[in-house]
Amino acid sequence: MSASPPLFPLEVHDLTVSYHTKPVLYGVDLQIEEGSLVGVIGPNGAGKSTLIKTIMGIVPPSGGWVKIFGQKGKKAYTRVGYVPQRESVDWDFPVSVLDVVLMGRFAHVGWLKRVSKKDRSIACECLEKVNMLSFADRQIGKLSGGQQQRVFLARALAQESDLYLMDEPFSGVDAVTENAIIELLRELKNNGKTLLVVHHDLSNAKDYFDQLILLNMRLIAHGKREDTFTKELLQKTYGGRLTVFTEIAGQAASSQTSNQFPQKHL
Amino acid sequence: MNLNFFQFVPFFRTILFLFTAGSLHAEQIAEDSSLSIQTVRFLSLTDYSVQIVLLGVILMGMGCGLMGGFVVTRKLSLFGDTLSHAVLPGVAVGFIFSQSKNSFSILMGAMIAGFLGVFLISLIKKTTKVRLDSALGLVLSGFYAVGICLLTRIQKMEFGNQSGIDRYLFGQITGLSTADVLGMGISCILILLLTFLLYKEMLVTGFDPGFARSVGIPVDLLQYILWMLLAFSVITSLQVVGVILVSALLIIPAATASIITQRMKSLLFWSAGLGILAGIVGTYLSFLGNRLPTGPLIILTSTSFFIITLFLHFRNGLLFKWIRSRGKEQKIAIENTLKAIYQELENHNFSEDTITLGNLAKRRRINMPEAHKEVKNLVKKNLAFLLLKKNQTLPNEDILSLTPEGWSEACRIVRNHRLWELYLTNEVHYAPDHVHEDAEKIEHILGDTTVRKIERILSNPRRDPHGKLIPSQQDIEQGFIEKKVIRTV
Amino acid sequence: MDHFFPPLDLLDTFAMPWASPEDIIWNGKIVAMGFFVCLSCGLIGAFIVVRKLALMGDAISHGILPGLALSFMITQSKALLPMFIGACIAGLLCSLCIEWLQKKSPLKADAALGLTFTSFFALGVLLITQMGNNAHIDAECLLYGEIGFTPLAKNLKWGAIELGPRPLATMAMVTLLIISIMIVFYKQLLVTSFDETLSISLGLPIKAIHYGLMLLLATTIVAAFESVGVILVIAMLIFPSTTASFFFSRMPAILFSTIPLAFIYSFGGFFLARWLDCSIAASMVVIAMFCFGLAWLFGPVDGVIPKLLYRKVSV
Repeated sequence: MSASPPLFPLEVHDLTVSYHTKPVLYGVDLQIEEGSLVGVIGPNGAGKSTLIKTIMGIVPPSGGWVKIFGQKGKKAYTRVGYVPQRESVDWDFPVSVLDVVLMGRFAHVGWLKRVSKKDRSIACECLEKVNMLSFADRQIGKLSGGQQQRVFLARALAQESDLYLMDEPFSGVDAVTENAIIELLRELKNNGKTLLVVHHDLSNAKDYFDQLILLNMRLIAHGKREDTFTKELLQKTYGGRLTVFTEIAGQAASSQTSNQFPQKHL
Repeated sequence: MNLNFFQFVPFFRTILFLFTAGSLHAEQIAEDSSLSIQTVRFLSLTDYSVQIVLLGVILMGMGCGLMGGFVVTRKLSLFGDTLSHAVLPGVAVGFIFSQSKNSFSILMGAMIAGFLGVFLISLIKKTTKVRLDSALGLVLSGFYAVGICLLTRIQKMEFGNQSGIDRYLFGQITGLSTADVLGMGISCILILLLTFLLYKEMLVTGFDPGFARSVGIPVDLLQYILWMLLAFSVITSLQVVGVILVSALLIIPAATASIITQRMKSLLFWSAGLGILAGIVGTYLSFLGNRLPTGPLIILTSTSFFIITLFLHFRNGLLFKWIRSRGKEQKIAIENTLKAIYQELENHNFSEDTITLGNLAKRRRINMPEAHKEVKNLVKKNLAFLLLKKNQTLPNEDILSLTPEGWSEACRIVRNHRLWELYLTNEVHYAPDHVHEDAEKIEHILGDTTVRKIERILSNPRRDPHGKLIPSQQDIEQGFIEKKVIRTV
Repeated sequence: MDHFFPPLDLLDTFAMPWASPEDIIWNGKIVAMGFFVCLSCGLIGAFIVVRKLALMGDAISHGILPGLALSFMITQSKALLPMFIGACIAGLLCSLCIEWLQKKSPLKADAALGLTFTSFFALGVLLITQMGNNAHIDAECLLYGEIGFTPLAKNLKWGAIELGPRPLATMAMVTLLIISIMIVFYKQLLVTSFDETLSISLGLPIKAIHYGLMLLLATTIVAAFESVGVILVIAMLIFPSTTASFFFSRMPAILFSTIPLAFIYSFGGFFLARWLDCSIAASMVVIAMFCFGLAWLFGPVDGVIPKLLYRKVSV
């Protein structure tokens, strides 16, 4: 545990998460520097989405902590923009594209005030950036997968956050959208924002991100892409798991949550 | 109607409706119907009405319990609720059709209405984006309202006053006739038949309909049979507990059973058993007072079974889980104390076999009273003993030594800790400065077999990542005597 | 059979209720009561439905019964306020119980809900039968209410001003409360319903908003159910927004369309009940069901027939 400079956009220490008694993440340590574009890769069920969800406080950790810009807890989240996995959104919800993007502005609006013209024009700008302005009045369910993803990206832009967490923004997306998204991510990064992106496609991970996090239940490696995207480390990430480790980690997790029934995840 | 009544008590009406469910006049219980006499009357089963009512609730409890087992495991609990509301227009139409309280036409009407309701739900699900819970609510309230419209209309018609149709809303066990019990019996037999003949098919369709279809099980047909039997049991139970409480008969026993067991077979068994038991106990309780409402009492009995199970079930009950976790905490505290003592001794290269209480407290980072308490726990478990110094003015100088058992336990725990640290460093490739915290947790839960497995993987190491000695299996077995061996190493 | 549906006498059904000033006031109060209930429940219901809590309304409306009974037993009076408080407490307790069971016990969400509210209801029935004495019985009131008695209730006074019959005045106030809360906190309600994660990063108190909504729901149920019964309340939580969603796909439009729908339900139900001489509240639900059916078939958004037509055109 080295003495850290005070303000990492994201700092995760010894994070352990378990569903029921099955550990998903085990003792993960991360320090992400400002202005980096970081890809999280690992096999299915490696806990990539769980990492993001735990950072966002959706999934409670069974050990360890998360600091965002040096802060813990609810206040910290106001500087985070989150792009959810497409599956977790209720697409039948009666809101239009513009409504969704405007939601991103609510942090800047204040409790009792209405959305101002300025917020509206910012929202429109963000939509323009992702090329979705012409769909502003559509109900969100009536868009293609790529378009839906772009709407949520626009919302994250509208939030004007400093740290972005994105859960598989490239899944179910056409090639054009994928390029557009990665351009946008780079632009954000160049503006000094920090981005943590869960990604499932190994073939282009190296081209998209400057830094990579290799994750498979535990942190395998974190660093520059040249250092981490090596055959050996990838094999370690995607190779078989450590049986004893999994087993014991399971016991540990279950002993920590033994005084309550396992949490349900629907 | 008394106008003044409504001027004063708009709320009162809403409350008073239920007085039909029982008696308004909680009459003084006469001497000859005292508790014991009523009990004897109830248990001896001499009364015909007691016999018929008991038979009714037993059949009802069994039928609904079994159905509930299927329904709850398929996450259809609220379908029962919807179904019980949806049959109401059918009851009314059946009544209009026969113009009398003819059980058969009412039963048929209820069946048809129930099916229509279920069909509408699936149609809404299929053709719209309306969510299931909303669809249930729509059908439930819509059908119920149609039923109420018809029933209030009936009451205004000349044949309506003989209806006594209220009992479908609130249930009235005293009105239970032989024909009603016969209906319950038939539905119960059908349900039993389903359970015994189609058990494995029902199990498969409930668990994984896609798979069931692929192995050639007629999933839809089974679904319809399930609906039909559910409708049967709901309709026949309606007269005992009323529309709203019917779903409780389905849900509560099965929910209780689902805490007790995770196997379908025993779940059905428990669910039916609990249904019957709740029926009998509820009926008995209502028999004690002067016309206490039977339906609600059956439900409340069932609920209290549930609450008791939820908290007091030995394996899965919340209370015992809590106690067990408390026990675990204590065990962990003891183990941590032992480890601290070991480390103190190790710090002095095992040159002494005692440590002072003050040093222990310092190492555990606790204050003296806490240290005293921990040591007392150790002494109680015969893991350590206190040697009191003559100088009693300095309690920090109280001296403590381990018994052979304590010594062996301390070795075991330190060994677990260091083995795990080594495992994490060598096999999982953690940095050596990262493994301590994790080992702090793991050391308490490593079982013998796992320890052996790790030993094998690491090929019986002697030193942990920090270069400290891992006390070996032999040291543990030899206990206190081997301490000197360690000292010399 | 043939006299089950009486002949539809247009004059008697539609004109007679408004023949004299007294009639207009009398029947107007009934329709107004229905309108307020439909409107307030519809507004809350729009959010309840998108939050997937549609059956929570059902549960809470049954769960308030023991609260009513206990507050009556304790105060030995039928005063409005204690009953109101009792019912709100019981309603919230019921929803807390459900959530606790869903979280801490191995029960599935639907079983936890069904178990809790039926137990609460059974307890309420038992309590009521225990305290009984000396009054008329109006058996059906809780379940489908008797809105027709609204004009008979004592007028509520505020200082020297007569506010109208108590149930009506209470309901109007609750409606006003709901409308103002919807206007002021629209954003927060919308975001927390749509996306909890975003709400976290916006720093919104998700729990507080959830329980605020539950309390508002309990308040509405208690105020409404005084005169219209449980069934109209449950129906009105779900029907208006679901019906409107066949026409509009934005929240504000759905909320606004509650107004005309409430209007149709209350007048339609009133006339239907007048024709058939049956329960007014239940008739309003029947009308609501009818409207839902129409919307289902013809609604431009996702209706059955437009969908069929569209498919034909596109082929």
